[in-house]
Amino acid sequence: MGSGRGDMTRALIAIAAIGAIWLAIGLLVSNSYYQLMLTLVPIWAVMGLSWNLLSGYTGLVSFGHASFFGLGAYTVTIALVRFDVTPWFGIPLGMLVGMVAAVVIGYPTFRLRGHYFALAMLAYPLALLYVFEWLGYQEVALPMKREAAAWFMQFADPRAYTVIAVALLLLALVVSLGVERSRFGMSLLAIKQNEPAAEAAGIDTLRWKMRAIMVSGALAAAVGGFYAVVLLVVTPSSVFGMLTSAQALIVALFGGAGTLWGPLIGAAVLIPLSETLRAELGDVVPGIQGIVYGVAIILVILLAPEGVFWRVRDRFSPVRAQPRTDASTSGSSPRVAAPRPTPPTKRVPILRVASLTKSFGGLRAVEDVSFEVEEGALLGIIGPNGAGKTTLFNLLNGFLLPDQGQILFAGTELVGLKPNRICRLGVGRTFQTVRAFARMSVLQNTVVGAYVSEATDAAAFALARQALERVDLAARADAPAGELTNKELRLMELARAMAGRPRLLLLDEPLAGLGSAEIGELLSVIRSLSADGVTVVIIEHTMQAMMRLVDRLIVLDHGRVLAAGQAREVTSDPSVIEAYLGKKWSAARA
Amino acid sequence: MLEVDAISVAYRGLKALTEVSLRVPEGAFVAIIGPNGAGKTTLFKTVSGTVRPLGGRIRFRGHDLLNVSPSQRALLGIAHVPEGRQVFSSLTVLENLEMGAYCSEGRAHWGRNIERIFSLFPVLADRRRQLAGTLSGGEQQMLAIGRGIASSPKLLMLDEPSMGLSPTAADTIFERIEALHQEEGLTTLLVEQRVVEALDSCDTGYVLEAGRVILEGPRDALLADDRVRRSYLGI
Amino acid sequence: MSGLAGLAESFLQALTAGLLVGCIYGLMCLGLGLIFGVMRVINFAQGDFLMLGMYFTLYLTAGLAGTAVFGTVAIPFIAAICAGPVLFVGGYFLHRLLVSRVTGIRVAGIEGEGHYAQLILTLGVALILENGGLILFGSTPKSVRTPLSASAWEIPLHDTSAVFVNKARSIAALISIAAAAGLYWFIGHSRLGKALRAAADNPEAATYMGIDVDRAHRIAFGIGTGVTAVAGGLVATYSSFQPYVGLEFVIIMYAGVVLGGMGSMLGAFWGGMTIGLVQQLSSLFLSPQLQNSAIFVVFLLIVLIRPQGLFGRRAERT
Repeated sequence: MGSGRGDMTRALIAIAAIGAIWLAIGLLVSNSYYQLMLTLVPIWAVMGLSWNLLSGYTGLVSFGHASFFGLGAYTVTIALVRFDVTPWFGIPLGMLVGMVAAVVIGYPTFRLRGHYFALAMLAYPLALLYVFEWLGYQEVALPMKREAAAWFMQFADPRAYTVIAVALLLLALVVSLGVERSRFGMSLLAIKQNEPAAEAAGIDTLRWKMRAIMVSGALAAAVGGFYAVVLLVVTPSSVFGMLTSAQALIVALFGGAGTLWGPLIGAAVLIPLSETLRAELGDVVPGIQGIVYGVAIILVILLAPEGVFWRVRDRFSPVRAQPRTDASTSGSSPRVAAPRPTPPTKRVPILRVASLTKSFGGLRAVEDVSFEVEEGALLGIIGPNGAGKTTLFNLLNGFLLPDQGQILFAGTELVGLKPNRICRLGVGRTFQTVRAFARMSVLQNTVVGAYVSEATDAAAFALARQALERVDLAARADAPAGELTNKELRLMELARAMAGRPRLLLLDEPLAGLGSAEIGELLSVIRSLSADGVTVVIIEHTMQAMMRLVDRLIVLDHGRVLAAGQAREVTSDPSVIEAYLGKKWSAARA
Repeated sequence: MLEVDAISVAYRGLKALTEVSLRVPEGAFVAIIGPNGAGKTTLFKTVSGTVRPLGGRIRFRGHDLLNVSPSQRALLGIAHVPEGRQVFSSLTVLENLEMGAYCSEGRAHWGRNIERIFSLFPVLADRRRQLAGTLSGGEQQMLAIGRGIASSPKLLMLDEPSMGLSPTAADTIFERIEALHQEEGLTTLLVEQRVVEALDSCDTGYVLEAGRVILEGPRDALLADDRVRRSYLGI
Repeated sequence: MSGLAGLAESFLQALTAGLLVGCIYGLMCLGLGLIFGVMRVINFAQGDFLMLGMYFTLYLTAGLAGTAVFGTVAIPFIAAICAGPVLFVGGYFLHRLLVSRVTGIRVAGIEGEGHYAQLILTLGVALILENGGLILFGSTPKSVRTPLSASAWEIPLHDTSAVFVNKARSIAALISIAAAAGLYWFIGHSRLGKALRAAADNPEAATYMGIDVDRAHRIAFGIGTGVTAVAGGLVATYSSFQPYVGLEFVIIMYAGVVLGGMGSMLGAFWGGMTIGLVQQLSSLFLSPQLQNSAIFVVFLLIVLIRPQGLFGRRAERT
């Protein structure tokens, strides 16, 4: 992705080819009914691509793209009817309106998760529907302009509309391509995969989501405006209605959400199908379209939730990584900045935690925790389950706001900063459960962590490769992540965190589920990272492993620091034995 | 009473259990110890039925469990006190116990059982109308065990009852579990991270590591074993 | 009559209407509350079960019209009540065939993804039900004729003004309260009701108790859809409807459940009541088309400002 020049060119050629073929067919077909079909498919493909840009990539399901579609339609319509402005200007104006609406809608709604987001998005077009009916726009017809018809985007020959539709489609495809094959798309996918992990890796999730909805809204509005021109009559229910949002969704989902070609496939299959059914049976069976879409949605989500695109692909080729090469194979790898200098021999505390406290309701998860970590040290945090270890990490990372206390990282106060900002400052984090993009290569999975360090995609890829080398996983760089073993997945997590060039690395149970030989490998990797100067703080349960790895230990119990100091001392500490190992154990050893 | 034969379980390609076998004779107290991620909870879930094994057999009092659905297994007399308590937080203490007595055996002996539970754990009697979600960790653990007893089980399985509890609360729990076993002769299977407590109360024990049984034997043998000590202190 | 008295009268009228309508909305929210609030299952098609309840009531009323057994006054309400069991069966099988594939223990491990699939799946079901309704019932708005829908009790105020209490709505409200009370008792105090709650609270632990969680979920789902259908039938006795009516009510129902607080059945009822009041009171200064927009705004405000609602105990699970 990103710097795959060859691949990008191929995609562009494919896009151009599709455009050319479509135009050719369009010019040849004379039947007006089929012409309409040739015009409608690209329109809905664009809607699908627009939906895809937001929901397909981020995983935030929008039931309300009709908002943008309708706003675009009404902008064009009102501009023409009231102000005599041609749709050639009206459509770009509509795109602007769509973008503004996207910002207004996105900002509050992105604070919601999952189903609340979907429901809220549903509410917007419905509200707009009522508002426009109230404003008196029950049915607005675009006036016929006999003089200067072309100036007003009115053509006698229906093929002209097909041309414009194809132009919009090509625009949407190119924009989607640009997004997908860049860090824009990767960041969105990272958000979909695991939003907290993306935040912790330095991705400003809110900003990317806003950008996505703005582009999405603009495209939907553009095609909505064009739709008004084609249909010549606009009613609130036809543009703001549920069917519009549903069509955008199902077209993308059917073909394959989160892919470039998915919406096009979906539109090419479903639109002719439903339109034909409507034409043939529409009188006898009104609403046949809705039923077709309903059935299609159900079948897709149950049988091929990733969409037809992937089903077909998997059938014809086994699950392999996308054949997207990266910069280094094309020979010119840009110079990557040198790794961080080794720290001075004098041990300076890089992390100072003071009186950190966090309660949930009545439960004191973390209570008055204070400690210091020297630069370059290897610190272990242990304690029974529920002792507050992960909560502590979440506080350090910025996912939780402490009730009290300070966190000083290299002199900067971290409390109140967003996780991606904390990552930028040099704090990296791995999580207990690794969620990878199974269909993408290890390298692509890793590069997400490099975006915070490098401005260009090419440099980011090079850095990702380096990170993989450091954790001894370079050999698997092009393998699809879905094929990795547990150990390799954990190494990949490490690489992703390292790609952010952290000075401090927070590792949350990196050894969970590994066998003893694999633990040994991971330990040596962690040790080598530490030797390079990275400060490592690690939460773990397996005492055996910890003893082999760390210099110092902190024991947490019920949110408080029970003991801290050299590893050997701490494990002989009677209160530690009592809390972690049991009174009788110390009695047995006495 | 319970025979587990060469059970293997895999989660998404990861081998959680490999050819694990164990026996729980009637009236015995068997302990399973091992580090985190060793597969102890997976083993319990396989016995309870929420996880299906790839291979092997489980027999309980003559029944082949793999042919029995999970909710049916409870009705056969297996009480599973899950890891992390898993109380019904939106139900009251009493309602939780009523749910424990959902099966016919439980309902038949409700009066007697509820008396036992309240005498074993008086705090539950005090808080019977409170929502389970508002109890402390130790109290929830007592509730979970009480729920298990309420079904008049033949086999009581306890998954890490001391997890997340303060040492004193954990000690109380272990005392009560042992009392239960002594008084009723209730066949008990205990999984624990706390080595000494677990081994102290049991008759026989199994050590599970990375999905395999690496050691098994009577209590005293295990307590003296070097490998056991090494697994927990790294010394 | 002075302006202020006129305003007071309008206000009282709207308040009365709001209370009556609120009871019915409360019932429909109770149905969704069971499904969404307790089971945490997204059912986008809930509004369409409401719609089906309406049409069922319509057809049963027409069918029973000939028989003088129940009397023309009572028939529509009885029909509405009958819609409950019928749509219970519908919901039960919907869950069994489709919804269960995207809910339950199988899916519980996948954080959040279950919800995505539930959303999409039930959207598909909604589309089919709405458009199927369009085919079967036609698009012209219908309503259920009852001699009571046009008559009202007159409660005189101290002036010459009066507040009119619509009879049909009043009976509908009474039935709603009775049904809600019955459901509340069932869920709260019966063994099966507790089992349903337990199965929703913690499916895994419930299995260990011997509860057949799949069956419990199906029953709960069926009750949820049945209850909402009854509410639909009651709405049908005073309001007109067409096959797409479900969509408006989906937002109303979710607004009510969220307002009342997730996981709280009582909250769902009060939430619905509040929404009903908001809707009727907003008619004082908003035109009819905008009344529903007001509800959407309320919904958005709740979700943004206080997502745990009025009665919600637990923070919304991420």
